[in-house]
Amino acid sequence: MTTMRPSRTTFLAIVLALLGLLCAPAGAADNQRSDGDPIEGFNRGMFWFNDQVDTYVLVPVATVWDKVMPNRVQRSLANFFDNLRFPIVTVNNLLQAKFKNAASDVGRFAVNTTVGVAGFFDPASDWGLEAHNEDFGQTLGYWGVPPGPYLVLPILGPSGVRDGAGLVPDGFMAVYPWFIDIVYTVSARAVDVVNTRSLYLKQVEEAKAASIDYYTAVRNAYIQRRKSLVNDGAAATKEESEDLYNIDKEVVE
Amino acid sequence: MDKHSQHHFLFGFSVALLLCIAALRSASTAAAEGPTAVVQQTADAVVAVLANKSLASAQKRAQIEQIVYAHFDFTTLSKLVLARNWKQLSPAQQHDFVEEFKRHLSVTYGRNVETYNNERAVITGDREESNGDWTVKTKILRPSAADILVDYRLRKQDSTWQVIDVIIEGVSLVANFRSQFQEILTSSSPDHLIELLREKNAKGEPLKS
Repeated sequence: MTTMRPSRTTFLAIVLALLGLLCAPAGAADNQRSDGDPIEGFNRGMFWFNDQVDTYVLVPVATVWDKVMPNRVQRSLANFFDNLRFPIVTVNNLLQAKFKNAASDVGRFAVNTTVGVAGFFDPASDWGLEAHNEDFGQTLGYWGVPPGPYLVLPILGPSGVRDGAGLVPDGFMAVYPWFIDIVYTVSARAVDVVNTRSLYLKQVEEAKAASIDYYTAVRNAYIQRRKSLVNDGAAATKEESEDLYNIDKEVVE
Repeated sequence: MDKHSQHHFLFGFSVALLLCIAALRSASTAAAEGPTAVVQQTADAVVAVLANKSLASAQKRAQIEQIVYAHFDFTTLSKLVLARNWKQLSPAQQHDFVEEFKRHLSVTYGRNVETYNNERAVITGDREESNGDWTVKTKILRPSAADILVDYRLRKQDSTWQVIDVIIEGVSLVANFRSQFQEILTSSSPDHLIELLREKNAKGEPLKS
């Protein structure tokens, strides 16, 4: 899920608040090997709130949507909204000096918008123009900005101070807020959210079943996933690898 | 026996034979095989079971369990997951933990048997890690959705390569469970953790008959 459409002043307020957080406790959180979560109380509250909204509002709607809509339509809608993320992905590739990927994104957008009928289909992937996952949070991470403390945002879900701040410039780059009437923007966003959720009904249920401590599982998965996205899936450093896999000596007496 | 059911029988028999050969092969040659071959064989064997329409879900699950159990080192996995906390457990608790954790993974991931939709696994690369482990990189190809990147970390145990971690889209299973169990063990006892797993397993057993 990404941003709604807050006003500029809200944006500014969020930016300032997040920047403030980013400066302060980021270093402290980095020292600990366990997932730093200095505002765990707030996060757990927000996580609970989001889970309530998800369980009692979003999931029931998405379940009906999933039943009514043929899978093909759900996929096409997902393609359509992915295609609209083209400026975000491309600009962030450029900002990370990944020019080849950015060029591929332009080609991908051109192909999917024309041959793929306004983005409802994804012929580009079959032609080797694969989708990239980039956003401003990753761009900041690419240039060395630490993730900062874990942060659960209302409605938007798991994030971090750096990644939360990144939602702001990304929000400005989204295609639809700029030249479409707000009613359509909000409706489109609603369809996007419900449709996306309808594609992950089973996965979320499974993740809940698979975890013993759901809050911690999600927090850890988010932190690991973002790290992997920032370094584009590069192998873990020697230190991380040792911390994770070389504990036998301490463990076996 | 009419011709149709004879066909059916023959087909079933040949599949059974094939699986038998596959199982024997992987058992006898695994020692000589490198980590990449182990992952390839395991993935092939699992996909063969999943794609076999003559098997019921419960049978599929049982067969996949056998394949996976043969190639995963759950004791090392449990040690890695508990890390420093492993020593806090008595040998009996350690044994219980390994068993319950193994069952937990089987119960939760076994669910996917029913949703198999012609996914295939291809190996995309491998590398040796600094401590002698190997990482084998794979990609799960899905017919109508984005690929999923899955890496397996393997360690040589008694001349056999066995899986000690699964990393899905950059998220390590060991690291994820370590964070959860660490959280639980800071506020409660190992017995409580084992009990939590046991409860979860009892509740989550979807194909219990």
